[in-house]
Amino acid sequence: MKNLMLTSAVAALFASTVFCAQAADKKTLVFVANGASDFWKAAEAGVKKAQEELPNYNLQFKYPEQSAAAIQERLMDDLVAGGVAGIMVSAVDPKTETDALDRVASHTLLLTTDSDAPKSKRLAYIGSSNVLAGNQVGEILKKALPNGGKCMAYVGLPGADNARERIQGIKDTIKGTKIEIVDVRADDIDQARAKRNVEDTLTANPNVDCMLGIYSYNIPQIYQALKESGALGKITVTGFDDDPITLGGIKEGTIAGTVVQQPYEWGYQGMKDMAKILEGDKSFIPKDNLMIIPTKVIDKAGVDDYAAQLKKLQGKG
Amino acid sequence: MAEPFLELIGIGKAYPGVQALADVSLAVSAGEVVGLIGENGAGKSTLMKVLGGVVAPSSGVIRLDGQDRPSLTVKDAIAAGIAFVHQELNLFDNLDAAANVFIGREPRIGGPLNLIDRRKLRASVRPLLERLGCDFKPETPVIDLSIAQRQQLEIAKALSLGARVVIMDEPTSSLTISETNRLLDIIGDLKASGVAIIFISHRLNEIEQCVDRVVVLRDGRLVGALDRVAIRHDAMIRLMIGRDLKELYTPPAAPPGESVLELVALKTSAYPERSVSLSLRRGEILGLAGLIGAGRTELARALFGIDRLAGGGIVLAGQPIVIANPRDAIDRGIYLIPEDRKQSGLILEHSIASNISLPDLMSYASFALISGSREDRNATAQCKALRIKTRDVATLVGALSGGNQQKVVLAKWLSMRPRVLIFDEPTRGVDVGAKTEIYELMRALADKGVAILMISSDLEEVIGVSDRMAVMHEGAIAGILERDSFSEETIMQLAVGHSIH
Amino acid sequence: MLKKDASLLVLILVIGVVTAYLNPRFISPINLSNTANLIGLFGLYAIGAGFVIITGGIDLSVGSLFALLGVVFIDLLTRYQMNWGLAVALMVLAGMAIGAIHAFLIVKMRLQPFIVTLCGLLLYRGIARWYTDDGTAGFEFGQSFPSLEWITTGRTYGVPHSFVVFILVAIVMGIVLHGSVFGRYLCAVGKNEEAARYSGIQTGLVIAAAYVIASGLAGLSSVYFVMYTRSISPASHGNFYELYGIAAAVLGGCSLRGGEGSVFGIVLGAILLQILQNLVNLLGIPSSLNFAVMGAVILIGVLADQQFVNYRQWLRGRRDDAALARNAPPKDAGA
Repeated sequence: MKNLMLTSAVAALFASTVFCAQAADKKTLVFVANGASDFWKAAEAGVKKAQEELPNYNLQFKYPEQSAAAIQERLMDDLVAGGVAGIMVSAVDPKTETDALDRVASHTLLLTTDSDAPKSKRLAYIGSSNVLAGNQVGEILKKALPNGGKCMAYVGLPGADNARERIQGIKDTIKGTKIEIVDVRADDIDQARAKRNVEDTLTANPNVDCMLGIYSYNIPQIYQALKESGALGKITVTGFDDDPITLGGIKEGTIAGTVVQQPYEWGYQGMKDMAKILEGDKSFIPKDNLMIIPTKVIDKAGVDDYAAQLKKLQGKG
Repeated sequence: MAEPFLELIGIGKAYPGVQALADVSLAVSAGEVVGLIGENGAGKSTLMKVLGGVVAPSSGVIRLDGQDRPSLTVKDAIAAGIAFVHQELNLFDNLDAAANVFIGREPRIGGPLNLIDRRKLRASVRPLLERLGCDFKPETPVIDLSIAQRQQLEIAKALSLGARVVIMDEPTSSLTISETNRLLDIIGDLKASGVAIIFISHRLNEIEQCVDRVVVLRDGRLVGALDRVAIRHDAMIRLMIGRDLKELYTPPAAPPGESVLELVALKTSAYPERSVSLSLRRGEILGLAGLIGAGRTELARALFGIDRLAGGGIVLAGQPIVIANPRDAIDRGIYLIPEDRKQSGLILEHSIASNISLPDLMSYASFALISGSREDRNATAQCKALRIKTRDVATLVGALSGGNQQKVVLAKWLSMRPRVLIFDEPTRGVDVGAKTEIYELMRALADKGVAILMISSDLEEVIGVSDRMAVMHEGAIAGILERDSFSEETIMQLAVGHSIH
Repeated sequence: MLKKDASLLVLILVIGVVTAYLNPRFISPINLSNTANLIGLFGLYAIGAGFVIITGGIDLSVGSLFALLGVVFIDLLTRYQMNWGLAVALMVLAGMAIGAIHAFLIVKMRLQPFIVTLCGLLLYRGIARWYTDDGTAGFEFGQSFPSLEWITTGRTYGVPHSFVVFILVAIVMGIVLHGSVFGRYLCAVGKNEEAARYSGIQTGLVIAAAYVIASGLAGLSSVYFVMYTRSISPASHGNFYELYGIAAAVLGGCSLRGGEGSVFGIVLGAILLQILQNLVNLLGIPSSLNFAVMGAVILIGVLADQQFVNYRQWLRGRRDDAALARNAPPKDAGA
């Protein structure tokens, strides 16, 4: 116990010396991601854009070294100790992090993004609604399968809230139709296993009508497996996020469509909102404290525009 | 003499395919020293395991304090005061002396915390060490103790367990002369205080010196017992091997030839300040005597390329050579039969055939693929030539007796072309019969022109086998003796650093 | 075939029969083909893991090496438009170079293999993530490399080429381990390094060769994994894959104490691990139980094997006792 206290004291001391230097004149606002991935590149671009408009603030974008709750908590504690004015976080595991989030919220302004922690003392959530996004995927399904069908869903961590809400959203929308989700296969974020799950489905349930990719890499792995087995085009594929393969498949017509979030807007709007709140304006926050930035459906018609825009945001264009 | 408190009556033990013991009877009384001798594989270890409760006999009765039982458990044996001092000492060298004595029975303190009461522990060990005249303290870490001291510690442990009979298995095989004498004194003290000793040894001198009677095992049977007055070398050997043993020394067929290996002011890392100059001649057996720690093994290791030289040079047949690793030595025909054959000489879990072929594997292979039949053919021939007792060459070396293992080490080198053979303690743990065979082999090799350097701490051996002898003391050659001036006394004088006038 | 291999084969057959009975599609050609592909992918580097284990060492860095070499490989093909054959050769060489570094640290600097390769595990993943800026590396949509794909993900009459390559490598490595001078040296060094040295074997070189072979095979494997997933997120690609390799080797009879192992056993070990993953999906067992099924089946299998060995020993013991009773010398013998 003593040891732990000593360590955290030393860590705090160290962190404060690092951050004080920067925080002296400008207020610092930090976007804390839940782990490193391409997905956050767009949010980073949004934060950058907001920085241009907020010259009196010092905006930062931080990744925890690992996608682990404890490591993310330590990162936030260090930031708090360094005296940052506001944190916007995509919690790795919102349920178990409630205490840590409360601790942060008691010292500084805290918004959640991406995945919400409604039971914590965070001021507000800004981001997509996974349920609404799921509804949109459900609509794609209804359009693609007017006569109904059996769907298989693939996901990294089925117990995670974002996965559960997305699937729930789909189920809500397809209720009453003849479309059903027969099983959800998990891969623990191992892409090789994600692909093998699809291959095994083709063996075990060859008459499945559609496949849903819940995590961003799931549609690409579905696409590869179908392509190699020659089933591409025979099975409806849809799901979430905007991996280049997903967008390519949509353009090609082998993927029915995808629903994308707008992390650029989270970063941009979130930072500007935090500045507003710090300046005393809280009036724009809705009663339920959920500031939903809508997700977008990308189908064959809109895929080219979206791809171009994405390239620009990720700095690859 | 007192009534025996421990009797083995008609003990037999069979393993698959082997009758390890048959109808062996042995009685031990308080204050008696019983010598137990026999060749390796004669059944000594099995008999001791029966006493220790590790092995249950298949037939016979163990009578302990007048009570008959078919077998003992380890617990029974300990409770009855039967204690062992093993050949391979069973000590924890990460603990101190006192902790080893009371391992598993530590005095406790602190109630539920179960802490070890170190003070009490040491206090109870101190008198034991004093009784044995040990020159170390209860708090000395075992890692700092010499082999002799560790053995004394084992004896102390036995006494702390209230031992009535202490079984010593080859207790002197790693001891120097003075340490051996010290042990024999301790045995005398124990005897005087009523503790019985079963003394197992291949060293007949020691048996002669310290035991009250000798029991001889051969092929699992009791072949004889000799009383104090009847104990003589020849009598013991006759019983052990069932025939008379020849005189050890066989003179060489021809006088030694030119010098093969020349050590020029060679320095080893053990004694970097002192140097060895020595010349080894074709066809001779040069004995290298000295106390343990005199630097003989280090010299052998350096010659064979295991350790780096600290200085000096090696000349082979007139050519200065550099030996950076064992491969260099082997390629030049300099071979070593190491002191610790189980650790360094053999891979016990591998077969006889693959042990023999290991140093010269390439010549059993075509295109880097080994030909098993070529290996087997050579190994079979070697087994026959060296009279290695085994069913076939696929047998794992670990299953062989000490003497046969040593012959396998030899076979490794004899399959190649030896020019210089270095034997480091060639007959340690080898039974009498096999010893003679090994000496004969050495002589035969020397007569074929091989130069042999034999390191030995066994005076009987080094005197009996060598043509010439060098005695080492603290990293340097203290003197070189010709055969006619060999004597135990001269060797000891040189070994302890006295000069001979 | 070693006795251990035989019991592993029995375990695989029992699991196969039970699974096929519960879901006959288990033995459908397409499923066998898919599973063979994965056996190829995971078996290739397991052989290398086995070689290292036979020296008494361990290689924990494989999974991270897949991430690092994978992202570099994708970059070579896409950004630098390198000839694929050259790129594959470079991956194998890079793997061998990394193996040589491990070997240098273990043999010359006398560091523990666990520590060296654990640092490798951290280091290579870190470099991979830094190299891609934590992004995903992947091929462009529709980008194709026909010859490379034929060799890696292609199939002939349903037989995946990855599996063919794996079997070829296994045969070569089997001959190396069980028939060659080097293989004998490897077992000797693993069993008793000192005795091997006293027999003139350059033990350092032998150990080094094992690490170079292991990392070289891992380099080759990394190409196969890239072509299988066609996209790599360096933070998660290949996580824990070193354990699959080690598990396959140890299940296949490689002793962690060194000196023992057979390539056939490693092949069986790799087969068992992949069949277990396959049956979870085919039998509709919840994915969350994936690892639990793997752990439980292996444990039961090993336990059953041990019980069987004990039973045989007990039987033999009884036979011996009976033989003894028959052959016991009469009481007055030797008197």
